[in-house]
Amino acid sequence: MTGDHREFLELTLPHLDAVFQVARHAARDGLDPEDLVQETYLRAFASFSRYRGGDVRAWLAAICLNAARSESRRRRRRPQEAVSQALLDVLPFGRADGRDQAPDVADVVIASLDAQEVSRCLALLPEQQRLSIVLMDVAGYTARETAEVLGCPRGTVLARVHRGRRRLAQLLAEAGVNHGQP
Amino acid sequence: MDSHDRMLAAFVAGDLGMADARRWDEHLLECERCWRAVREDGDARRAAERLRLPPPPGLADQVRFAVELAAAAGTSPCPPGRRRGSPTWVRLAVGGAAVMAFLVVALVFVPSAGHGGVPPTVAAVARYARALPPPGTPLPVAVPPGRPAEVGHQVSVTAGGHRITLRTWRLGGVEAVVATSSHPFPMPPGARGASGTGMAWSARLGTVQLYCVNGRQSELVAAPVPAAELARLAARLPRA
Repeated sequence: MTGDHREFLELTLPHLDAVFQVARHAARDGLDPEDLVQETYLRAFASFSRYRGGDVRAWLAAICLNAARSESRRRRRRPQEAVSQALLDVLPFGRADGRDQAPDVADVVIASLDAQEVSRCLALLPEQQRLSIVLMDVAGYTARETAEVLGCPRGTVLARVHRGRRRLAQLLAEAGVNHGQP
Repeated sequence: MDSHDRMLAAFVAGDLGMADARRWDEHLLECERCWRAVREDGDARRAAERLRLPPPPGLADQVRFAVELAAAAGTSPCPPGRRRGSPTWVRLAVGGAAVMAFLVVALVFVPSAGHGGVPPTVAAVARYARALPPPGTPLPVAVPPGRPAEVGHQVSVTAGGHRITLRTWRLGGVEAVVATSSHPFPMPPGARGASGTGMAWSARLGTVQLYCVNGRQSELVAAPVPAAELARLAARLPRA
């Protein structure tokens, strides 16, 4: 290993926020988002010598999604591994026992937006739509970067994100969430 | 999705040229279906934007430390599937004091010159770490997962004329020692320095992996785990 770790950190650490947003929504099956971020950076560093330039944010997001998938597969092969409920409580997906966390409707109405409910509805979308929304709307990736991460044409991303948003809006309306309006 | 919907998706993304965008503006005044689609798109986008959370404090340091350690150790990270240890957190609650008392007694008799040229302060920490239970050893009382749990009490010892403070942490079924000293921990034979810094090094002494950052306050992390595993572990332990 050479001294290029400082160059690596200089190049990649400014994108920690974006990677964290992706990790929060990609980490499943009890995987800690912070662990996933660290794993992403370690994998990226291990392959840094092969990095040939390009969009760093997109490169990191693709690594993050791959790491989440491989870890999720591993955890499903080992169902005996206990999943921490405390961890699940901070993740934006349904509970391990299949019961969704019931929102207090009054609080939702008063607060206008219940982030937990938005996360639950987002998790109901098909994966490609969900990932497109997470990358563009939550993590702030452009459509071009999102297309690079997901390996599809930019027009496809725009179509997916539009379809996904419409479905998400309908799910939020059904859930009684006064979505998006401040 | 038909061509009309594709145009609509391009419109809400701001992808259309001025002439096409103007035509769509006019169309929306007449088409209830498209108007609703535009509103839904905007509502959902705003809702999703509110899911952004700032990264937890310390995450950048954790990542930086892990990368620095991987660089110093000259290792590739293990895939998470090869991690050791159980996610079930257990804690040494009974007998910890007795174990620590024994270790303190053992440590104060550390010879002033380490074995095989290993500096005495480093040898003391490595000896301490060798007494840790193997990764995954279950202990009697469960503690909430996700955060490091301190095991036993802080211990202070003197080795090679320097005072060292030792704290033991348990995280993910693995225990590690974090030693701090106001004097730098010298590099033992066979250690690898972190490129460019000259201040950090990693080494393996028997079954114990060590990682050291020397600064105003020097820290030496030691655990009976592979180098890549120590990177993950050390990055999540409280720093001095």
